[in-house]
Amino acid sequence: MATDRLDALRGPVPPRPHDARAIAALAANPGCARRAVLDAAGIDKDSTARHLGFPAPFGQSRFAITRGDVFEAQVKANGCAGLLRLLREVLGLPIPLVAYHDAADVGAHLRHAHTRALIDRAARDSDDAGTFYDHPLLSLEIAGHTSYLEPDVVAFRLGGRFHIVEIKSFAVIDGQAEPAKVAAAARQAAVYVLALRRLVEELGHDPGRVSHEVILVCPENFANRPVATLVDVRRQLAVLRRQLARMTGVGDLVSGLPSGLTFDLAADADGVPTRPVAELAEAIGTVAARYAPECRSTCDMCLFCRDEARDEGSTDLLGRHVRDELGGVAGVDEALALAEGTRGPADGQEEIARLLRLADRLRAESLEPAR
Amino acid sequence: MAFTLMLEIRGTQGRHAEAPATLPAVSDPLDALERRIGELRGEVRRAVKARQSTLARSLRGELRKAELAWDDAVSAEHGDAPEPAGTPSLLPVREQVHQALALLGVPTAARLVVAVHEAFFAGGLSAGRLTSLRRDEERSFRTAPFSRPYYLCAALTDRLSPARGLLAVSTWPLEQRIVGPLSHRVDFLVSASRIAEHLGRLTRAGEDAPPGALRLLSRMAQNIPGAVERFGGAEPQTVIRAAAAELTVHLEADTAGRAGTAERAARQLGDVEQLFGAATLSHAQRGA
Repeated sequence: MATDRLDALRGPVPPRPHDARAIAALAANPGCARRAVLDAAGIDKDSTARHLGFPAPFGQSRFAITRGDVFEAQVKANGCAGLLRLLREVLGLPIPLVAYHDAADVGAHLRHAHTRALIDRAARDSDDAGTFYDHPLLSLEIAGHTSYLEPDVVAFRLGGRFHIVEIKSFAVIDGQAEPAKVAAAARQAAVYVLALRRLVEELGHDPGRVSHEVILVCPENFANRPVATLVDVRRQLAVLRRQLARMTGVGDLVSGLPSGLTFDLAADADGVPTRPVAELAEAIGTVAARYAPECRSTCDMCLFCRDEARDEGSTDLLGRHVRDELGGVAGVDEALALAEGTRGPADGQEEIARLLRLADRLRAESLEPAR
Repeated sequence: MAFTLMLEIRGTQGRHAEAPATLPAVSDPLDALERRIGELRGEVRRAVKARQSTLARSLRGELRKAELAWDDAVSAEHGDAPEPAGTPSLLPVREQVHQALALLGVPTAARLVVAVHEAFFAGGLSAGRLTSLRRDEERSFRTAPFSRPYYLCAALTDRLSPARGLLAVSTWPLEQRIVGPLSHRVDFLVSASRIAEHLGRLTRAGEDAPPGALRLLSRMAQNIPGAVERFGGAEPQTVIRAAAAELTVHLEADTAGRAGTAERAARQLGDVEQLFGAATLSHAQRGA
């Protein structure tokens, strides 16, 4: 039932498969109904945003992608020799454990089945098990569609548990990395952990054997030498689980939408969208968004939602922190009116109105000498 | 035979590498060099006569260096700059790859083949030219089996399918071309010590160790426990010792695994499959 509705929303095009980055982005803004519906329906958000006239300046640069690939190849070269050193140094992996399995040895069409067989064998008897599983292919069911995911490497045998290894090319300088990038990597790794846990559970083993600690490999300082860190992704896992549960419960969101609503781009034979832009914008507008400045690094629809939030004078534009502080005040205009005292506080707004007036006075005082 | 060839090619490259250090401004250094070469020749002759082979060898090394410097000085004076390094070699790609593989002696990824070739042999070998190599060799073998002295072929996994991205030589015994779970590590350690051995061989022959090869060895040694100090480059002898120490841990299990798979491959596969691997569909189920 809900699936039919989602298909109607998407129009006569195949659903877009999700990759780990997209699934991780879901967890980044769990409150956004628009994103939940568009993703559940498998809608191509990029071309939708493009057609609406708000193409997102989005995606990695070619150079960054090349750099990432080169660094990953360096860490994985010669049967993960570089990674092996890191695990020996950082996690005390014993010398005899070096077995390396490549799940891609069987050819692309059997990769997923082979990954299953390898993981099953590893979980079953630890004598024959490998230490590294390269090029694994995992699957995760999202709102009725199977998405295939490719973690960088799965490591086993660190205390009899599976660890996801995530290789990223941003630098860890003096033990510190950019928090936003680490958070994004952790979210992405959490997707892999979840997929691997589902697989292990399906095979009849304890899902707890997949560790919630992922191994993040990054270049150290200003050189290209890799360094490994353990990152705990329990929080990201919880958010992700909740978000995926919401997506299966997306039926509730969808049933509240007017019937006959569709986000179909009505592409012609050449794939050029012919749907009138205003009509599409109105259709999208019926599903509420929850814009936050962070959306600009994770969602294709970000500029459209930002524009909408601006038109409405919404406090979302100012970031989550401000929005939460201004709880109960709907828009920027209202907040300004409260601050200047041109509008009396409604019931329950007394406290925030007092704070806003105080802030206004402080601002006026600090600007006074300049005049 | 192949070794002499390598040395000669290496010699040509060494000349280019040394060029910037020995650029003379006028003819005086040339005269000095010629005098020095003359003296050295005399000393070599006397040392050989006196049967002092060690001395003679080191003198020959010095003589060769002086001659190389003289070559550079002459060409610099005439204004024809030495060709830039990385000019395409005259050898076909498969010969170049074979050179590198003969040095390493184990199935090797294209990336390392290129790195080794760059470090030890003349001429640029680009990774892009290696992509279709295995397929071309297979086609050639299928049309006229065993008509070439060697083929560049695949390494076989324990399911007898071709291993991804590894190149091997058809003249190697089958078990050398098998990669089991431990073989990636074993082969890595073996190739590191082969590179170190070859560096030692070059130094003993009076050649300068090519800086590229030392860098390559240092990079590999980083990933072998006990092979390198925290700072500074790798020492070939230390690398060989450290690699051998770790090899003793893995070698027995790996050899047994390889022998078993090789025996199965010899029994189940035809000529073409033994070299280029079995199609994955038919054997994937059996291996599981």
